[in-house]
Amino acid sequence: MLSTLAQEAVQNAPEISEAIQVAEAGAKTGIAAIGAGLAAVGAGIGIGRIGGDANIAMARQPEMMSDIRASSMIFAALIEGVAFFGAVIALLFAL
Amino acid sequence: MILPILTALFPLPSEGGQQDPFEYLFAHVLPHKIEGLIIFGLPVWNIQYFQLAAIGFMVVGFSGVARAIRKGNPGPVARVLAGWVAWIRDEVVYPNMQKEHAQKLLPLFITLFFFILFMNLFGLIPFGATATASVYVTAALSCITFGIMLIGGIIVQGPIAFWKNLIPHGVPWWLIPLIFFMEFAGLFIKPFALTIRLMANMMGGHLVILSFMGLAFYFGSQNTILGLAVAPISIGLSMFMMILESFVALLQAYIFTLLSVIFVSMCLHPDH
Repeated sequence: MLSTLAQEAVQNAPEISEAIQVAEAGAKTGIAAIGAGLAAVGAGIGIGRIGGDANIAMARQPEMMSDIRASSMIFAALIEGVAFFGAVIALLFAL
Repeated sequence: MILPILTALFPLPSEGGQQDPFEYLFAHVLPHKIEGLIIFGLPVWNIQYFQLAAIGFMVVGFSGVARAIRKGNPGPVARVLAGWVAWIRDEVVYPNMQKEHAQKLLPLFITLFFFILFMNLFGLIPFGATATASVYVTAALSCITFGIMLIGGIIVQGPIAFWKNLIPHGVPWWLIPLIFFMEFAGLFIKPFALTIRLMANMMGGHLVILSFMGLAFYFGSQNTILGLAVAPISIGLSMFMMILESFVALLQAYIFTLLSVIFVSMCLHPDH
C-alpha cells in the first residue's frame, strides 16, 4: 500500500508543485492587497486628525483660516507620502 | 450612427481576439518603451516626448517675461508668470534658506518646480503621459537635490566639518556612533522619500482613473447596453478624479520643491 501511495505521489508531483506555486502567487497578491489596505488606514487616521484639529483651530481663530488651510495641505501631502510607501512596497511584493 | 464613427475614430485593439481592456489601458497610458525606436543605442520611452515638451513650455513661456517687466509694460501672461516666480522666491525659498545661498540656488528651485509641475499636468491632457509616474524620472530629479545637498554642503562647510556637523551638539559620547549612523542613513533616505512620494502620487492617480475608465469597457465587452449604461458613471468618476489629480499635481510639485529647499538648507547651514 505504501508503495502505491509513493507511486501516486511521484506521478502527481509536478501537478502538486504547480498547484502550490499557483496558491503561493495568489497568497502573495492577497497579502500585498491587505498591506496596501493597512497603509490606507494609516493615511486615513493621520489625515483625519489633521482635518479635525484644523477645523477646531479655524473655528477658534477665523482670521488664521488661510494659514491653517495652507499648512494642513502640506502636512496632508507629507502623510500621504508615507502611506504611499506602504502601497508601493505592497505593489513591489505583489509583482 | 454615432457608434460606428466613434469605434472608427478610437478603436480598441483586438489582436487575436478580445484583449483585456484594463491591460490595454494600463499598457498604453503608463510609461512604456516604444518598440522599434532606438536613438543613440538607447530605447525611447513614450514619456520622453513630454519631458521635452515640458522644457519647451518653460523656455517659450518664460522667454520674454524678464524683458517685458524691465521695459515696464508686461502683458497679462508675463504678470502671471512673474507672480508665480515671485511666490516661489518669497514663500518657498527665502524663508527657509540663508540669503546668500538662496540667491545663488533660486534658479534651480524655480526650474525644478515648473519642470515637475508641467510634467505632472501633461498627464491630464488627451494623449498625454505623466513623465513623473516613472520612478526613473523622479529618481533623477531627487538625485539633483541629493547632489546639491552633498556637493553644496562640502563646498560651504568643508569636507570634514560637513560630516562632523551631522551630529547635533550636546550628544553624549557613547551615543555618537548610533546618531552618526542614523543621520548618515537619513541623508540618503530623505531624497529617496522625495522620489517615492512624487512617483506614487502620480502613478496612483493614474491607476485609479484608468480603473474607472476600464470599468466601462469591461462592462461593454460583456454586453453593449450595459457598457453604455455604465459609461456616464465611469466618465463622471474619472472626471472627478482628474480634477483631484490636477490639484495633487500642483501640490506635489510644491512639496518636492519645498522639501528640496529645506534639505539643502539643512546641509548648507545646519543650525545645531
